[in-house]
Amino acid sequence: MSREDLEKALARGIEILNEFLPVKTYLYFPILYSACVWAVRRVFDYRERILAWQVWIDPDYIKTKPDEFILHFFATHGALSAAYEDEIDGRDMQVLRAAFPALYPVCGLEDAFLRGLFKAELDAADYRRIAAEFGERAAAARDAVTAAEADGDFWKELEAFGMEAAALGIHLLRDAEVQDMIVRLLKERMSGEPQAR
Amino acid sequence: MTAKTRFAAAVSAALILLLTASCASHLRQAKSAYVRGQELARAHRTGEALSAYKRAAQEAGLESRRNPSAQAFMVKGMAEASLELWRDAEASFLAAFGLGFEPGRAWASDASLLGLAVSFEELGLGDSATGVYERLLAKSSYEPVRMAAVQRYVDLAAARALTLAPVEKSRALARIVTAIDKLEANNYACGLYHYYHGQVESHRGDYRRSYEECVIARELGLPYEKVLRDNDNQIVFCYDRLVSSLPEAERGAFSEAHGAWAAKWGWKDARTPGWKKD
Repeated sequence: MSREDLEKALARGIEILNEFLPVKTYLYFPILYSACVWAVRRVFDYRERILAWQVWIDPDYIKTKPDEFILHFFATHGALSAAYEDEIDGRDMQVLRAAFPALYPVCGLEDAFLRGLFKAELDAADYRRIAAEFGERAAAARDAVTAAEADGDFWKELEAFGMEAAALGIHLLRDAEVQDMIVRLLKERMSGEPQAR
Repeated sequence: MTAKTRFAAAVSAALILLLTASCASHLRQAKSAYVRGQELARAHRTGEALSAYKRAAQEAGLESRRNPSAQAFMVKGMAEASLELWRDAEASFLAAFGLGFEPGRAWASDASLLGLAVSFEELGLGDSATGVYERLLAKSSYEPVRMAAVQRYVDLAAARALTLAPVEKSRALARIVTAIDKLEANNYACGLYHYYHGQVESHRGDYRRSYEECVIARELGLPYEKVLRDNDNQIVFCYDRLVSSLPEAERGAFSEAHGAWAAKWGWKDARTPGWKKD
């Protein structure tokens, strides 16, 4: 695997997104990152996966959980347990239940696209912000992606990018390395200056 | 017969043959796409499965227009049901019934009821929807309808149970388990039913049973990735609860057995499924 070739492929991925979503730069990271995650697994049905959290017709997982499961989820997820320490200790189920539908798909089921969409908040361990903004931002992202797909080539080109990344051996990199590489390339593009590796 | 008429007859025969072959191939392609859709769904390749079902519905639609037959409408209805196009599926099954496919009428009625229940739910009429789902689970002979109804039913009925006082809640949860027990009795090899069972046992606080059902679900296979991950999380939750509550003698044996499952499933350790990055 050549890191240089992989970076070139990722840069092409950014170009594709720039073409189809020119002003939606906040979507570049989640789309590219999730495309890389699925490329590793040789799964290229990006459309359904990116839109999976809201519009996919699968029988869904059971969303109604008992209090104990919700408490366990918050208490056993490192940084999440720190962020909600008071509510966990006080068994404040009203707050925890309200935050659960947003945080469980991101931190519990680890949906790749949602993790990309909330990367800044995850890095900053700002889980309350995810809980507060999940509905609005997820819906906005869905609408933007749905608008981009009006041009049938969007998914085709994204799939071609994923296949190229897979062929170049993206699976040999750790998840954090892939994320860092995408972030660096995006920063370079925004600032027009090379970023430290 | 002149050479010209012989040629015309030969061309007609060839055209008829070609059209017949083309029709036959539409049905064959529809069946093949439907089976492929099922395989892809089982392999968690849901997007591709969706495409395969769409293809199956299109091919069966072409076949049913050119050469209407019970089989063509049946395949069309099955593909539409997989796409949750309940009204279309109802019409196709009725057409199949009209052409001699005996179960078509019942399947059409089930598809119609399911569509109605989904509408109730969307309108916020949860109790009405629950009643229809319950009826479908008890009476429907069409597996895809039962599969679609059970998830909606368990979610709705469990949410309702959570609002009840302890005794009523316990009764309501027992009722859900009874409904799932019947489904399992009809098709024990369906991993999804065991997943739902595990979820309800968790609401009842029976973590041992919940754990067992989730392990069975994982072993039998779950067709959707989100469901598989949620099932794994449920296994970890039950494992933690059991390890902290079992007597020491039992705890060791349980941990050992769980470790063997975790290794078989390729987990990183007893509490970390392979897909977890956090």
